[in-house]
Amino acid sequence: MLTKFESKSSRAKGIAFHPKRPWILVSLHSSTIQLWDYRMGTLIDRFEEHDGPVRGVDFHPTQPLFVSGGDDYKIKVWNYQTRRCLFTLNGHLDYVRTVFFHPELPWILSASDDQTIRIWNWQNRSLICTMTGHNHYVMCAQFHPTEDLIASASLDQSVRIWDISGLRKKHSAPTSISFEDQMARANPNQADMFGNTDAVVKFVLEGHDRGVNWVSFHPTLPLLVSAGDDRLVKLWRMSDTKAWEVDTCRGHFQNASAALFHPHQDLILSVGEDKTIRAWDLNKRTSVQSFKRDLDRFWVIAAHPEMNLFAAGHDTGVMVFKLERERPASAIYQNQLFYITKDKHVKSYDFAKNVESPPMLSLRKLGSPWVPPRTLSYNPAERAILVTSPADNGTYELIHLPRDATGAVEPTDVKRGQATSAVFVARNRFAVFNPSSQQVDIKDLSNSTTKTIKPPAGTTDIYFGGTGCLLFITPTHVALFDIQQKKQLAELAVSGVKYVVWSNDGLYCALLSKHNVTIVTKTLEQVSTLHETIRIKSATWDDAGVLLYSTLNHVKYSLLNGDNGIIRTLDQTVYLVRVKGRSVYALDRNAQPRILEIDPTEYRFKLALVKRNYDEMLQIIKTSSLVGQSIISYLQKKGYPEIALQFVQDPQTRFDLALECGNLEVANEMARELERPKIWSRLGAEALAHGNHQIVEMTYQKQRNFDKLSFLYLSTGDEEKLARMAKIAEHRGDFTSRFQNAIYRGDVEDRIQMFKEVDLYPLAYLTAKSHGLIEEAESILEAVGLTEDQIVLPTLEQPLKVPHPIVPTFQSNWPVKAAGHSSFEKALLGEVGVDEEAGADGFDIEEEEQEAAVARETLDEDEEEVSGWDMGDDVNVEEEVDFVNVESAEAGAGSSEADLWARNSPLAADHVAAGSFDTAMQLLNRQVGAVQFAPLKARFLEVYKASKTYLPATAGLPPLVNYVRRTVDETELRKMLPIIPRDLETVASVDLQEGYAAMRSNKLEDGVATFKRILHTVLVNTVSSEAEVEEAKKIIATAREYILAMSIELERRSLTTDSPDNLKRSLELSAYFTIPKLEVAHRQLALMAAMKLAFANKNYGSALSFANRMLANGGSAKLLEQAKKIKAQCERNPQDQIDIDFDPFAEFDICAASYTPIYSGSPSVSDPFTGAKYHPQYKGSVDRISDVTEIGAPASGLRLFVPSQF
Amino acid sequence: MDPFSAEGELLNIHSAFHSGQYQSVIDFDASALSPENKLPAQVLRLRSQIALGQFDESLAEPSIEEDSPDLSAVRALALQSAGKTDAALQLAQELAENYPENNTVQVLAATVLQAQDHSEEALALLSKHQGNLEAVSLIVQIHLQQNRTDLALKEVQAAKRWGQDSLLVNVAESWVGLRVGGEKYQSAFYVYEELASAPSTSAPLAIVGQAIAEVHLGRLPEAEAALTAALEKYPTDVELIANSIVLNVLAGKQTEELESRLQQVQPSHSLLTDIQEKSEFFDTAAAKFSAKVST
Repeated sequence: MLTKFESKSSRAKGIAFHPKRPWILVSLHSSTIQLWDYRMGTLIDRFEEHDGPVRGVDFHPTQPLFVSGGDDYKIKVWNYQTRRCLFTLNGHLDYVRTVFFHPELPWILSASDDQTIRIWNWQNRSLICTMTGHNHYVMCAQFHPTEDLIASASLDQSVRIWDISGLRKKHSAPTSISFEDQMARANPNQADMFGNTDAVVKFVLEGHDRGVNWVSFHPTLPLLVSAGDDRLVKLWRMSDTKAWEVDTCRGHFQNASAALFHPHQDLILSVGEDKTIRAWDLNKRTSVQSFKRDLDRFWVIAAHPEMNLFAAGHDTGVMVFKLERERPASAIYQNQLFYITKDKHVKSYDFAKNVESPPMLSLRKLGSPWVPPRTLSYNPAERAILVTSPADNGTYELIHLPRDATGAVEPTDVKRGQATSAVFVARNRFAVFNPSSQQVDIKDLSNSTTKTIKPPAGTTDIYFGGTGCLLFITPTHVALFDIQQKKQLAELAVSGVKYVVWSNDGLYCALLSKHNVTIVTKTLEQVSTLHETIRIKSATWDDAGVLLYSTLNHVKYSLLNGDNGIIRTLDQTVYLVRVKGRSVYALDRNAQPRILEIDPTEYRFKLALVKRNYDEMLQIIKTSSLVGQSIISYLQKKGYPEIALQFVQDPQTRFDLALECGNLEVANEMARELERPKIWSRLGAEALAHGNHQIVEMTYQKQRNFDKLSFLYLSTGDEEKLARMAKIAEHRGDFTSRFQNAIYRGDVEDRIQMFKEVDLYPLAYLTAKSHGLIEEAESILEAVGLTEDQIVLPTLEQPLKVPHPIVPTFQSNWPVKAAGHSSFEKALLGEVGVDEEAGADGFDIEEEEQEAAVARETLDEDEEEVSGWDMGDDVNVEEEVDFVNVESAEAGAGSSEADLWARNSPLAADHVAAGSFDTAMQLLNRQVGAVQFAPLKARFLEVYKASKTYLPATAGLPPLVNYVRRTVDETELRKMLPIIPRDLETVASVDLQEGYAAMRSNKLEDGVATFKRILHTVLVNTVSSEAEVEEAKKIIATAREYILAMSIELERRSLTTDSPDNLKRSLELSAYFTIPKLEVAHRQLALMAAMKLAFANKNYGSALSFANRMLANGGSAKLLEQAKKIKAQCERNPQDQIDIDFDPFAEFDICAASYTPIYSGSPSVSDPFTGAKYHPQYKGSVDRISDVTEIGAPASGLRLFVPSQF
Repeated sequence: MDPFSAEGELLNIHSAFHSGQYQSVIDFDASALSPENKLPAQVLRLRSQIALGQFDESLAEPSIEEDSPDLSAVRALALQSAGKTDAALQLAQELAENYPENNTVQVLAATVLQAQDHSEEALALLSKHQGNLEAVSLIVQIHLQQNRTDLALKEVQAAKRWGQDSLLVNVAESWVGLRVGGEKYQSAFYVYEELASAPSTSAPLAIVGQAIAEVHLGRLPEAEAALTAALEKYPTDVELIANSIVLNVLAGKQTEELESRLQQVQPSHSLLTDIQEKSEFFDTAAAKFSAKVST
């Protein structure tokens, strides 16, 4: 039993669970009614209007109401929202024992010591029925959950069942009454002694020989359970016509106070004054569990209507409890979840396919029937599971899983023992922990102890601690222990750890306690910790190293640095097991796998931020709508205003952030939108600090801050604008400002003028005088009617000379404070560049269907087969000797796997891998006429190098050589074959693309080398199907065409065009360049080159034919444009100036040696490997395309595949 | 009691040696050991020095001259490693003759004999062992080097019956498993993975084993991850480099840099000598062919 909540108070007599919220009502002997939140453990409210003990309470199933009844004979109905008693129902003449709401009708049922049971309508607040018949206190009366029945228990030793269908009829809305009904009404069949037909006694159940304290209906079956002062709990069954006693549960050794049925399981729960709570098997009536309190007698028990929760009231309060853990035992390995269902079947769930397996095993016999298994540990190497059960003080079982899930079979070979915890610690070892002996045993798979460890004192649990290590959990500490070295590696003070969850890479682990998550490294160094007020239930790690954990009602995340947040809410408690992308996998309390969809954006973003993975952040910003105050304030708090800026739409916030990160452009933009003086002044101040005087100027203008503006112009040396400022000042009539501007500008006349205007003639005169403007001074004197000698002048110094700006600073900003472009912003900027580059490189050629390869001589497969084997026989003479040796020798050396390869395969590549180069060469010579092997040397050595690994073994001896196979699952010696690096797929997806890229970017030498390498790679290779053989042939043909084309073009480029002969040859070669079967886009390049060259040399006829071919091919608009232009020009005069050997209308091949045409019908020889055509005189020389094979040599054809090998 | 058993005080130093953590063997504090275990501990320490290539030091170690078969056997190994193969062979043969019952002599003399291709003699000496797991693992290795997987398998299965728990048996089984292949690759992988991830046994030896098992299982990216990480940590470990070369070739990557590194660290590594030999072989074999018409 697991206690979830306990309260301390006076004696608790009545309890009611709220149907939806985590609330419980407790009525106390002290006249108080308490409302508790049992999840948070807080007292929500108290209701104190009863006088004396309150014995019964009940929540209304849907309304915010509850009812209570007490020793003051009163029944009160309350509203818990308004926290008031709504009204009181008076009528009972003695203590009210229980009160209950009807599940649907507006009725309240009460049982009282006045020997009556009453039904009240709480809507019109009236008594509608009084049931008499018991002749002692009625201790309890309950409605049947679905039928019109009432059960009551009384100290008269009887239980009565009442039929209240009459009452329902009377109070239901009147309908048209049939004749039968009228008759029935007219002749009530069974009236009681008072003529009452509303509620009649249906059955009287006698069997208790003392008073009966409680009776409850079964939620679905026609069963009742009662508890009495005879210390018995009795089970009754009823049918339509009778009711009888089924059996008795004996065990309480004091008065049994109350009993009820488990809402979901076949159990009876009872409490008694013997201070026990007991659980009984409904079918066997045997005791299943019992729980005893030391001092407190139990008075009442209640079940939660939906959840697996119970509450019991006793002398000093209530306790809320569960009978069993609801956490399903589970374990994860790679993509599989193993778990134990409610009916104790082991199942697995595949995360990749999202499918549940059928049951694999039944653990029915594990532990006791009502106790679910606690933990599951999985061992992939042995495909075994360890299951622990808390039954019998802890037991464990070691079971091998069957290969296939075929159904819930009973395991055959089970090893078991006593322990509370059992975990696998290595491939063939597991650890079990016995808290009673405080001992950890390391056991092997036959369940014998190989080692014994004494854990630290007070250890309560053990967990896997990384390979070869264990974590010991004590109430205050967690210790990491190395099993092999038998020593403690580390210890960390973390209290109350209940679960340990390792990250997928095994580097971190999360220690979960009730309210804390502590993240530690694998060496038990604390990384971060966080606190939750709500209970933490489970956790799992994202592949990126983010911890997701669940509380009772949320899924949350925590980064390694402790930053956390809510991902989603939960409507029911689940246990997380795995995160994959947007899906969180969890097991619910019924042990069903569930997939919860989440939005991982927020934590991925924060993770990217922590890891400074700006690309990913950009990606997230671009692809998801990540907005919201929380993320912005998070970014701001973490010191990334510039990133926060990317999310904000609101101009005010955007402005603030822009200022914070010094992004004046954005700030300016926002300020324009906002247009508020305060904003301008802030922007001005910031811009000034940056030295961006242009923005400063604008903000001053916006604020009409003329003084500052003038000073700014002065300091930037913008005389023109300063003059304009003076004008404005004059215009505004602001003399101070005008004077100031005049001083700034050194404009003496204006100053004098101004002084005159404001009648400050003395100053005007003085100014004029001191600046040597005698005439002006005199005219002032004249104007005021004074003469010079009437004036006493101070000594005049040299007049102020205004300096003139030398550098036109105003034209541009000062060197601005380096705008702190973060790497994020750089990424943001850099990205644009990348895009452009991608665009430039954009005309990637889609893999197009290759045109049929040049005609080949038909391969005679049978002959080929024969020749291949012939070859093997011929050359393997030495190995034959070896072979005999192996067969005969009892001891002594065997032949290596490599030798077998050569024997197992007729393919040249396999011989190469085996190191049998000579036979490989002979094979190639036979198959494709290979004669010049030097170019293949790199490929030979590459294949050979990849064939074996070097496993260090005993120190002092060379490593053990093992041979790498392509037949990984094969153990049959005769079928083993070596791995060949660079398979066809790699060639097609890597090398071929590289070749195309060389063509595109005009690196023809590299291209030729690449395509030759492709030929060599394919020549020494193997494939796995006939389809791939075809593909290989296509690749060979492609490589041939490209090598030919590129060689022709390279030949042309090596020519100088100074002599007419050379020019002619050059034109010819450029024409031939267009012949090989290249990809269309590449052929366009060739045609383009040929067309331009022809056009430049006034061979308009050829140019026209090239242009026409280009237009026919279609493709890039730019190229077509040019072709059209040239076509238009050439059509005027479609003549060739230089006659070349090129007939655009004839079918011909190009000789790969001389680069001259071989017209169809004329004799030619071809290369047995590449199929390249040559003029007959080249027969017997080395193929120019592959550099390996002999032109025109007799050959059986390249073999890459032997069907029997697969 | 067997000092190397799970309860013995030499367990840690023993498993450190066999998981390739030679430096921690050398650093092991032997002063607390009981007197009868001092000698085995010293032998392990000297062997670790030899394994690390510090054979001059082990030859110079004064006690090595003492008239003890154990230490003489170490000396033989040191001579062998130092390249004085004739002297080593002579000493090993002498020891095999005179002290065939001594565990250290069995293992070390047999190592020297096997290193000089006297496999039959080595096997004969090793066959005299009485429950010496190290001898068993050496027998397994010799059988494997002779390509007698069947005999190696038999030996391992016999040893498993009485020495199931031992690191040596597990590892020897993995050697055989990597030869046999199929499902055994995965089992071998589990053994090495476990060694590589446990702090007390993690060393290049185990990581190489793990990576090799991955290579054989065709899981190249995983193997690459393991080797790359290990190479950063142990840049001069010969087998790490050699197997990285193999892996890179398989993955179609360049290997020149690694090959030159291996050339520096151990020019006599069989990968290099083998390639050299094959390269010459290629040239001679290729010389037999030529085109009818030279161009």
